[in-house]
Amino acid sequence: MISGSREDYLIEILRMTKGEGKVKTNDLANKLKISPASVSEMIKILSDEGFVKYAKYRGAELTASGLEYATKLRRKHDLMERFLTDVLDMEPDAAHEEAHKMEHAISDESAYRMCRIIGAPANDDCKSCVEYGISKEGCNINTKLSDMKQGQTGKISHLKCDVPATIKKLISLGFVPGREVYIYSNISKSGPKVINVGNATFALDSETASSVFVEIGDD
Amino acid sequence: MQDGMFTAALIGQPNVGKSSLFSRLTGVGVISSNYAGTTVEIDEAVIVRKGDKVRIYDLPGTYSMSGNSDDENVVLKMVKNSDIDTVIVVADATNLQSSLVLCMEVIELGLPIILAINKVDEAYKKFNTDFKALENILGVSVIPVSARTSEGVDALADAVCDGLGKVSSFKVRYNDHLEAAISELTPLLGTTRFNSRGTAVKLLEGTKSFADDVDAHAVAITLELRNIYEITNDESSDVAIARDRYSFSDATVRKIQFKDNSAMTRKDKLSEILITPSTGMPILIGVMFGIFLAIIYVGSFLDQIVDGAYEFLVGNTLIDFGLNHGGELGETIMKGINGSILALFTLVIPYILVFYIILGVLEDSGYLPRAVVLLDRTMHRFGLHGGAFIPMMVGLGCNVPAIMATRSIQSRREKIIITALIVICVPCSAQLAIIFGIVGQYSGILYSFAILVVVLALMFVLGLTLNRFLKKEPSNLAMEIPDLELPTIKNILFKTWDRIKDFFFIAFPLIVVGSILLEIALKYNLLGFIIDPLSFLTVVMLGLPASLIIAFIAGVLRKEMALAMLIVIALSVGISDLTLFMTPDQFFIFGLVMAIYMPCLATVAVMWREIGWKETIVVSALSVGTAIAIGSIANLFLTIF
Repeated sequence: MISGSREDYLIEILRMTKGEGKVKTNDLANKLKISPASVSEMIKILSDEGFVKYAKYRGAELTASGLEYATKLRRKHDLMERFLTDVLDMEPDAAHEEAHKMEHAISDESAYRMCRIIGAPANDDCKSCVEYGISKEGCNINTKLSDMKQGQTGKISHLKCDVPATIKKLISLGFVPGREVYIYSNISKSGPKVINVGNATFALDSETASSVFVEIGDD
Repeated sequence: MQDGMFTAALIGQPNVGKSSLFSRLTGVGVISSNYAGTTVEIDEAVIVRKGDKVRIYDLPGTYSMSGNSDDENVVLKMVKNSDIDTVIVVADATNLQSSLVLCMEVIELGLPIILAINKVDEAYKKFNTDFKALENILGVSVIPVSARTSEGVDALADAVCDGLGKVSSFKVRYNDHLEAAISELTPLLGTTRFNSRGTAVKLLEGTKSFADDVDAHAVAITLELRNIYEITNDESSDVAIARDRYSFSDATVRKIQFKDNSAMTRKDKLSEILITPSTGMPILIGVMFGIFLAIIYVGSFLDQIVDGAYEFLVGNTLIDFGLNHGGELGETIMKGINGSILALFTLVIPYILVFYIILGVLEDSGYLPRAVVLLDRTMHRFGLHGGAFIPMMVGLGCNVPAIMATRSIQSRREKIIITALIVICVPCSAQLAIIFGIVGQYSGILYSFAILVVVLALMFVLGLTLNRFLKKEPSNLAMEIPDLELPTIKNILFKTWDRIKDFFFIAFPLIVVGSILLEIALKYNLLGFIIDPLSFLTVVMLGLPASLIIAFIAGVLRKEMALAMLIVIALSVGISDLTLFMTPDQFFIFGLVMAIYMPCLATVAVMWREIGWKETIVVSALSVGTAIAIGSIANLFLTIF
C-alpha cells in the first residue's frame, strides 16, 4: 500500500463496497490499520469535499467525483514515476517518494505535456488527456492500427477489445502500449496487415488490428 | 532431478530455433521448420558429457508463461510439475526484445536458467551485440549460439552440464500501483514450484492456470485488485504488466545492441514480392500447380527408374522361388507379395518423396506464413483464418501431424473445422500417390486433376456448411512472419527421411503380411461373407469389382494398403496387367473414393485425442458417406455418358 493518503481512502472505500453499498468506518479502519478516530476525521474532510457520501451509522460510499479524483491522481503518480525514472534517470525508490508528493501539485496541462516528453501517446481513456489534450488541441489523438496506411509508423497507446483472449494474444506477440509499430504492408482495406513491432514482423487480420490504438508519428 | 538424472528443458518463443538447437545439442533429429509452431509435442534426449548424463527436453514454442493455447499449456505443465533443474531459455538474437520478455518471466518465476541466444550468425550481419552487458543486467549466464553454424553449442552443453543455470535476483520493476498489489498478494501465496512474486504477477495478469493452484482467498483478492486497478488506472493490469516488461526489454536492447546497417536487403525485396497480392497471388497459384506437376512428372520419372531397377535386380526371382518351394499356392502368394512391394516402391514412395522434398523447401524457406497472409480473406469464409493453410499443406503429406498442428489454434471451433477439412478433403501423400500414380497411369492425368477439382469443390461446400452450423467464435489471424531463409539440404533430407521412414518400417511389413493373408483367403474363398453382402455398394453403386471392398477395408489400416491389396486381388483372378482388371473409369472412381473416404487408423487415434470421440465419429462417418455418395454420382454420370 502507498502510505495513508486521501486517494488511498477513496480507493479502499471503492474496493470494499465493490461500487455498491456502504462501508463502515470501523471496517475501513481495520483494513487501513489506522485508528477509527482518524478515519472518521478523514471521512469528514472527504465528505466536505464531495468525494464521499457519508451517513452516520450507515457508512461511507464513493461519489463520481471522488472516483475521478482518485483515478486522476493515480495516473499522475504513474506519470511522475515514469518521468523521474525514464527522463531524469532517478532511482526507482527515490522516484516513488517524490512522485507521491508531486502527484497532488501537478496540473492537467503539465501532466499532458510531460506525457508528450516521455513519448507516451495521448490516450482518449485518460482523464488528463481528455480534459486538456483533446479539448484544448481539438485533435484526433489516436487511430486504429487497422486504419493505418502502408509505410506509416506510430506508437501504441492502448488496447481495447471485448474478447480477453484477443488482448492476451496481442500482448504475447508484443503489441503492447508504448511500443513502436510500422505498417510494412497493407494488403487491402479488410485484408490482413503485415506489421513490424520491435524487430519482429507479424500478420494481423484487420479485426484483430482494430483492437490496437496507435498514435501516428511524424512521417 | 528426474530418475536421478540432471534435467534441462529448452524454452523459447516460437521460431527462435529451439528444435534446431536441440538437434545440435543432442544429435537427436527432430523436425524443424521456418515458421511458428512446428513443435507441438515434447521431445527428449540424453546427452553424455564428461561422464555425466544429462536429460534434455525440447518443448513447443511459447510466447509467454501464461498457457494461452494447448501447446503453450504443455510448456507450463512441464516446468510446473517435473523436476527440471535448468531451464535453457532460447532467445532469437535478431529479435531480442520479445525473447527477453519471456526470459524475464521465467526469471521472475524463480526458475534456474541459462540464456542461450540463438541465430547469432544472422545477427552479426545486422547488429553489434554486447552479450556480457546483458549477462550483468539479467544476472544469468548468457551464451551466444548458432544452431546453423554450431557456434557456441559446445559452450552451451558445458554450461548445462556444469550446472551453470541459476536463479537470478533480477526483478522487473512494475509501476507503484502494481508493486503495491504484488506486495499485498505475495504473503497470501504458499510456496510452490514458482516463487511468490512471480506467481503474484501471473495472478494479476489474470492467468487462469495459476489461479487454479492457489487458494480461494488469494483468488478473490486477485480479482479485487485487478478490478480496482482497471477502474482507477484506465488500463487492465495485464496490459500494464506487459507495458512495463516491454519498456524494460526495449530499453535493455537499446543499451546492448547497435544496428550496423539497415539497408533493404534482397531478402526484404523478395519478401515484399511474395506478400503483395498482385505479385504474390500468381506466385502462390504457380507454387501449388508446381507441386502437383512435380509430383506427376518427377514422381513418374522416379517410378520408372525404380521399376526398371527392380526388374533388373529382382525380376522374377521371388515368383520363381515361390513356385519352386510352394507349388501353385507358393507362386500365387509370391506374386501377391511381389506385386504389392512393387506397388509400394514404384507407385507410392516416388510420389511421396517428391512431395516431402518440396514441402521441406517451402517450410524452411519461410514461404508458408507469407502464403497464409495472402489466403487469409478467403479462409475467413470458412470461419477460419489464413493460418489454417499450414496444417492443410502438412496434411497433403500426412494427416496425423496436420491435426496435431492445430494445437496452436485457440478456438475449438476452428480446430474442428480444420480437422474435418483435412481428413475429408485434403488427400494425404498416400492418397496423392493413388491419384497420380494409379489414376494418372491407368486413366490419364486429366482424371487425376478431375479428382483434385472434386475435393477442392468439396472443401468449399464442407467449409461453408461447417462455418454455418457450428456456433460462431471469433477467429483471428495473428501470426509471426519469419525472415526468408535459404533451406539447407541437410535439414530437408533429414525431414524427408523422418517422414517417409514409416513406409519402409511399418507399411512394408504390413503389406507383405497383408498380401499373404489375402492371397490365402482369396484362394480358399474365405472372404465371401464380406464381399457378397457389400457387393451392392461396390458393384451396383460404385460400379467396381465386388472384391475391391477388401482394398477399401485394408485402406483403413493405411491408405497405401488399398493399393497393394488392389494388385493382389487383380493377381488372384489371374490378371497381372492392371489395365485388363478395371477400365479407366473404374480406376477414376476407385481413386476418387479413396481420396475422400475414411481416415486411416492413426488419423482416427489422433483425432480422438485432439477433438474428442463424438466429433471423431461424426467426421469419420461423414467421410465414408460423402465418399460413397460422390463415387456413386460419378459412376452414374460415367455410365450415362
